[in-house]
Amino acid sequence: MEQLILELKEHLIEELNLEDITPEEIDAEAPLFGDGLGLDSIDALEIILILEKNYGVRLANTAEAKPVFYSVKTLAEYVMQNRK
Amino acid sequence: MADEIKSIYLGPSSLRTALGDRKATLKAILANRTGLGYDAQLGMPLGRLADEEPTIEGESRIVSLIVRRVEEVLHEARLEGDDPSWQLILSTTKGNIEALQGVKDTISEEAFLHHTAERVQELIGAVRSPIVISNACISGLSALIVARRLMKEGVCRHAVVVGADLVGEFIATGFASFKSLSEEPCRPYDAARDGLTLGEAVAALMLTTDEALADEGMVRLDGGAVTNDANHISGPSRTGDGLYYAMTQALEEAGLEAEAVGLVNTHGTATLYNDEMESKALFLAGLDQTPMNSLKGYIGHTLGASGVVETILTADQLRAGVAFATKGFSTLGVPCEVRVSDRIQPLEKRVAVKTASGFGGCNAALVLSMERTEEQPLRPTVDVKETATYTLPQSERPFAEFIREEYRALGEEKNMKFYKMSDLSKGLYVAVANLLKGHELQPRYTSTEVAVVLANSSSSLEADREHQRLVDQHPAEGTSPAVFVYTLPNVAMGEVCIRHKIQGDNTFFIEREGAVVAECYARILLETGRARAVITGLAEKLDEKWQLELKLLEAK
Repeated sequence: MEQLILELKEHLIEELNLEDITPEEIDAEAPLFGDGLGLDSIDALEIILILEKNYGVRLANTAEAKPVFYSVKTLAEYVMQNRK
Repeated sequence: MADEIKSIYLGPSSLRTALGDRKATLKAILANRTGLGYDAQLGMPLGRLADEEPTIEGESRIVSLIVRRVEEVLHEARLEGDDPSWQLILSTTKGNIEALQGVKDTISEEAFLHHTAERVQELIGAVRSPIVISNACISGLSALIVARRLMKEGVCRHAVVVGADLVGEFIATGFASFKSLSEEPCRPYDAARDGLTLGEAVAALMLTTDEALADEGMVRLDGGAVTNDANHISGPSRTGDGLYYAMTQALEEAGLEAEAVGLVNTHGTATLYNDEMESKALFLAGLDQTPMNSLKGYIGHTLGASGVVETILTADQLRAGVAFATKGFSTLGVPCEVRVSDRIQPLEKRVAVKTASGFGGCNAALVLSMERTEEQPLRPTVDVKETATYTLPQSERPFAEFIREEYRALGEEKNMKFYKMSDLSKGLYVAVANLLKGHELQPRYTSTEVAVVLANSSSSLEADREHQRLVDQHPAEGTSPAVFVYTLPNVAMGEVCIRHKIQGDNTFFIEREGAVVAECYARILLETGRARAVITGLAEKLDEKWQLELKLLEAK
């Protein structure tokens, strides 16, 4: 789980162009879509791509994804349960 | 000269949609028949052009379709191609984007939007250089509004405004990446709507100062306005304020109140948030009890063509004295109780408002009228002063590195969004921030008093190439929405509007060289009181070359 959380953080930083942010600076339990990282609806769609590309996990739309996208930790839990 | 021109009439028109030509399209709409059907090639419902015409030898499909439309309009108006009295204005989002397929590095000349317009000019033999506008999904209305303003200034007697966009993998994958496509033909304003359906269209509409050339019913284009939400580059405003401003400004220009309007033909794409936003804007504008409809259920969302096609079809509704039904609609599913026309019904007043909204946060509205209205008093002439200029320096370093340092040198609070932007947007963002140093817009101006009018040659081709490379790889998980959103040049203006809270006119011209038309248009906006400050100039970035040469013009 810890490894997956770190990996997810690295994907987010790379794919969402989170400039000057290190994995340590992202709190795995804090809300992803709060003020901190400045994420928006386009980022939410990009996260769907990250999950599918790297873990084969599919999410139909951002509405379904809402609870899953709460934090890096909830993302990791969803990937653990659904990865292929 | 300007004060002699009283009215701008809608002249002859020609169009091709999924339902056929204008007559066939009208006939089908009156019979409540859709042109949307499953497209096996793209694997989605689509409004693919009906009865394809043969392509002109050596020309692209889009150039051929445009040439035929313009020829038909000129023929009906009995104007020769080389008659100097008419001006071609092309609105398109992606033009001949097929020319990008399999692109490695160098982008072929044919992918440039001005090239498409220049081919049309040459084939028709037009004397005047074409004007090209690329303003996302409001492009068609933008072009009509630009035409009206130029004609009011006496620039030309007639304008043939063309809207054209065709749908291939480039556009289909992009909209799919936004999860904004419906699996079934779209259902505007319906509670069960779940996205839009793309459509193809090519349309030409002549605007003319000459009463003798006016089409049946003498429908006039009496007003128009473009605004920006200054909220988000892809998500519609949550309040509807931008579209509300556009509708009220357009009505004001026409000298009308909301009560005078008999029909609103909206954008009505059938995405969850667009239709929601529109219902709020109609409520704010006092138009929520006016019959309204969307034509997307018949022909799909025809992108840069939609404004021209739907304006022609809205004028036809005024002429016939009826509002068409909204195909796909049955149960109201938007927060404000708007009067969606669900059957053909008589119009009480022969005045229509036509609207559109698009990526980059842009909105447009225009007013079509068959009623007699009071002549609008001319506004006092104002002097225009160039109060600031700024040119982004050149550098030996790669652009990415250079612009990051330039951004940091601004000393503003870190904006996480900056790093996600296309290079064109980054360059423009930094250049505008520097331009406005010592010339802060607020509180001197309200948000709607400031406009942005820019031009370049390459449109968004750099971002387009990035998206095309992804498309060519056919990734199973789809392409990137963060790349696709920047495949429209006006989105860079949207970023600037968000940053500086600018909600006035937004127009992006495509010019082979410089920003001559853009600056001329910026001055017209100021001289006619439609803006009090305008950021204008050249915003070009392609490969390792960039030119960001901006001016701040203010009315004094």
